[in-house]
Amino acid sequence: MVLTCPVGTGRTLSKQGRAGHSRRGLLRAGALVALGGVATPLTGCGLLDRDDAPPEPDALEPLVAESLALEARHRAAATAVPALAGRLNPIADAHRAHADEMRRMIGRPAPSGTPTPGPSGSPVTGRAAVLTELRRAEQQGQTNAARACAAAPAERAAMLGSIAAARATHVEALA
Amino acid sequence: MSERTERSEGREHMPDRRSVSPAPGPTQVLADALAAEYAAIWAYGVIGVHLADAARTAARAAEAAHRSRRDALLLQLAEGAGQVPADRAGYALPYPVTDRAAALRLAVEIEERTAGHWRAALPHTTGADRNTALAALTDCALRATRWRRTAGVNPVTVPFPGRPA
Repeated sequence: MVLTCPVGTGRTLSKQGRAGHSRRGLLRAGALVALGGVATPLTGCGLLDRDDAPPEPDALEPLVAESLALEARHRAAATAVPALAGRLNPIADAHRAHADEMRRMIGRPAPSGTPTPGPSGSPVTGRAAVLTELRRAEQQGQTNAARACAAAPAERAAMLGSIAAARATHVEALA
Repeated sequence: MSERTERSEGREHMPDRRSVSPAPGPTQVLADALAAEYAAIWAYGVIGVHLADAARTAARAAEAAHRSRRDALLLQLAEGAGQVPADRAGYALPYPVTDRAAALRLAVEIEERTAGHWRAALPHTTGADRNTALAALTDCALRATRWRRTAGVNPVTVPFPGRPA
């Protein structure tokens, strides 16, 4: 990509006419790419060498990841079995809302974009099998959220309680 | 739905989860939950008569579940020093409940309302009390989902059960 664009090296390439890319220019661009490739890890080392400890992962991070994985599973299942989309998409939306709410509470903004495809393994097909798989995932999710609610500080207990209860209702909705 | 109706009619008998004082203690939030359970039990008496067959059976089971929560709360609060709220003779309904559709709508709203009171207890409780509150919140949310399905409401779930709208 870099090589297809004019590179701002500070010197014009007008001598080369309309073609725009001299051999020297291309080499210079390549050198910049190489430098960039080297410079990034160096910067990384510099950060790691500082005295600041890396930020402790928030206790909610695993639940955020679980919500996003559950969202991805429901979206994938809705694609695989379109007849279930009307049931599954609201549940997927709820998982996304849970992830957003937890991130807000953690104080980290949500990365934009579509959900990452979760580690769903081999795609399950067939209406009954899809529902069974999703119910199992929601049950595990409910257990995890309930455990988190029990251990949470007061300011997070209500939100986690709602998430645990929501996951329980998902099991019901998937029955 | 009901909350809009309630506001417009200026009702104040059904306990409103948003009227909880800013910094209640565990006894206060459990007393609020008890008041919500009283109202739910009373409401199911109205709801049940407009339902038939499986729905009526479900209403009876729901009422029994709320009685069970009520009794546990009465026992627990009686052990403390605080005042145990008494039941009322009756509660004003947010709208007339004269048919199956209104009964199912009220059932959903009663469960969401009661879920809200249990949810409000979570930050003020720890250990076994918090687990009880979460179990009660979850049970209410499950019943609300089942009533939505019975009523043909879609989706049958809400993202944050018990959270004030």
